[in-house]
Amino acid sequence: MNESRPYRRPAPKDWWAKAPYRAYTVREMSGLAVAGYGAVLFAGLYSLSQGPESWAAYVRFLQSPVSLLLHAALLAAVLYHVKTWFQILPKTMPKLILGRAPVAQRTITRVATIFAGACSLALVLITLGVAR
Amino acid sequence: MTGPARDNRSISPIFWLLFGAGGMLSALFGPGLILITGFFAPLGVGLPENFLSYDHALAFAQNPVGKLAVLVVVALFFWHGAERLFLTLKDMKAGPSLLLKLCTYGVAAVVTAAVIALLLAIGF
Amino acid sequence: MPDPAKKTIELRILRYQPGVDAAPSFGTFEVAGAENMSVLEALQTIKDTLDGSLSFRWSCRMAVCGSCGMMINGEPKLACSTFLRDLPPGPVTVEPLNNFPIERDLVISVGGFVKKIESIYPYIMPKEPKTVEQGPYRQTPAQLAAYESFSDCINCMLCYAACPQFGENPDFIGPGAMALLQRYNGDSRDAGRQKRLDTIHGENGVWSCTAVGICSEVCPKSVDPANAVNQNKTNSAFDFFLRFLRKE
Ligand code: SF4
Ligand code: FES
Repeated sequence: MNESRPYRRPAPKDWWAKAPYRAYTVREMSGLAVAGYGAVLFAGLYSLSQGPESWAAYVRFLQSPVSLLLHAALLAAVLYHVKTWFQILPKTMPKLILGRAPVAQRTITRVATIFAGACSLALVLITLGVAR
Repeated sequence: MTGPARDNRSISPIFWLLFGAGGMLSALFGPGLILITGFFAPLGVGLPENFLSYDHALAFAQNPVGKLAVLVVVALFFWHGAERLFLTLKDMKAGPSLLLKLCTYGVAAVVTAAVIALLLAIGF
Repeated sequence: MPDPAKKTIELRILRYQPGVDAAPSFGTFEVAGAENMSVLEALQTIKDTLDGSLSFRWSCRMAVCGSCGMMINGEPKLACSTFLRDLPPGPVTVEPLNNFPIERDLVISVGGFVKKIESIYPYIMPKEPKTVEQGPYRQTPAQLAAYESFSDCINCMLCYAACPQFGENPDFIGPGAMALLQRYNGDSRDAGRQKRLDTIHGENGVWSCTAVGICSEVCPKSVDPANAVNQNKTNSAFDFFLRFLRKE
C-alpha cells in the first residue's frame, strides 16, 4: 500500500533577512554602491554636456561636505564589494592545480585582493603623476 | 528522456557577463576612481588647479580613449548594480519579474544609451 | 555531582504521519543518559524505548552513506556525526531537511534529487572505449586533484536544504547534482563535457544559482558544491556565445 502523501512546508518569505543568508543580501547590496558611483559620474557627464555653468555647479557639489560624506560611504561600500568579490572569485573558476594539489581558495582570494589594491593604487599614482 | 533539469537556454548569461565585467572593473579600479574623483580632485590634493576645469574635463570627454573609459565605467557599473539589485528584489519577492527587470536592467540600458548619446553630443 | 551519563536531554522532533496528520507538528521526548549520544543514537533510543512509530533514515552511522541528513537546531546536519554534547544546552530541535517534501516524520522525498543525478550522465564517457587487454585509463595525481573533491559527495542533500534558490525553485538542479556533474566534467578520462553542459543552460540549470554559498559551508565532506555550480555558470555563459563558433 502506497500511503505517500508528501507534505510541502512553505518556505519563509524573509529568508534573505535571516542568518546565515543576511550576509549574502548585504553583499549583493554593495552592488548598489557601485551603480551609485556610476550615477555620480553620469551626473558629471551630463553637467559637462550642458556647458561651463552646469559643470561648475557639479564641481561645487563635488567639493561640498555632502559629496565628501557620500563618497566616503561609497568608498566603504565599494571596499566591502572588493573584499567579497574576491572571496567568490575562486568559486567561479576551475580548481587551480599547482604540482599535485589544488591551490587553496584563500590563497587565490588573497593574491587577487592584493592585485586589485595594486591596480587602484597604480591608477591613483599615474593620475597624480600625469596631471602634474 | 530528459531529467527535470533540462529546460530552455536562459538569456541570463548576457546579464551575468555584464554584471561580472562591472564587478571586476569596480573591484580593480573602483576604490582608486572614487579617491580621485571624490577626494583628490575636488579637494585639490596632489592635483593641479585646472584638473577639474571645464576645458580639461571637456578635453577628456572629447578624447576617444576618454570617451571609451567613461562609457565602459559608467555602463558596466550600472549593469553590475542592476543584476545584483534584480536578484535581491527577486529574493525579496518585491514584485512581478518583468517589473523588477524594467526597474533594474531597464535603468542600466537607458543609462547606457544616454551615456552614448551624451558622449556623441559632446563631440570629438 | 550529577552523573553526566545520566543526563536527560529533551528532543523536539517534527512529526508527520501521512493520511493522519493534516500538517506536521512537534513532539517532545526526554532521552536519559544521552550525554555521549549522537543525534542519530538518541533517535534510535526513542524508537526503541519511547515511540516505535518514529521514522527516520540511516544506514552507515559513520558519515558515509548520506541518508541521515536532517535539520538539527535549524541547521542541516548528518544526525550520525552530530553529538548532543556539542550542541548548546537546552532542548534540541530536530526537523526533516528544509526545502524537501516530507514523506513521514524525518523522512523526505528524494525522487527529484535522484532524477537530477540521472539527468547529468553520471558516469565516465571515455573518448575511445578501451578493451581490458588495452589496459587501464591512466591519470596523473594532478589530473585526479582537478576533480577529486567533487567525487567525495555522499548525496546527503544537506546542500539542498541550505539553498534558498532550491527552496524557491524545486526544479533547480542544485549544488549536489552539480558537484557530481563537475566530478565527471573535470575528469581527464571523460569526453562527455559538452553533453553534460548542455543539460544545465536553463533557469533550472545553473542559472537559478545566485552564489549564496551556504551549500559549501554545510557540506559535511568539503565537496564545495558552490564551486561546481559557479564554475559552470562561467562555462555556460561562455557557451552561450561560443556555441556559434563550435563545430559539431
Ligand atoms: S555536495 Fe556535500 S552537502 Fe551536497 S549532497 Fe554532496 S556531500 Fe552532501
Ligand atoms: S547514517 Fe550514514 S551518513 Fe549518517
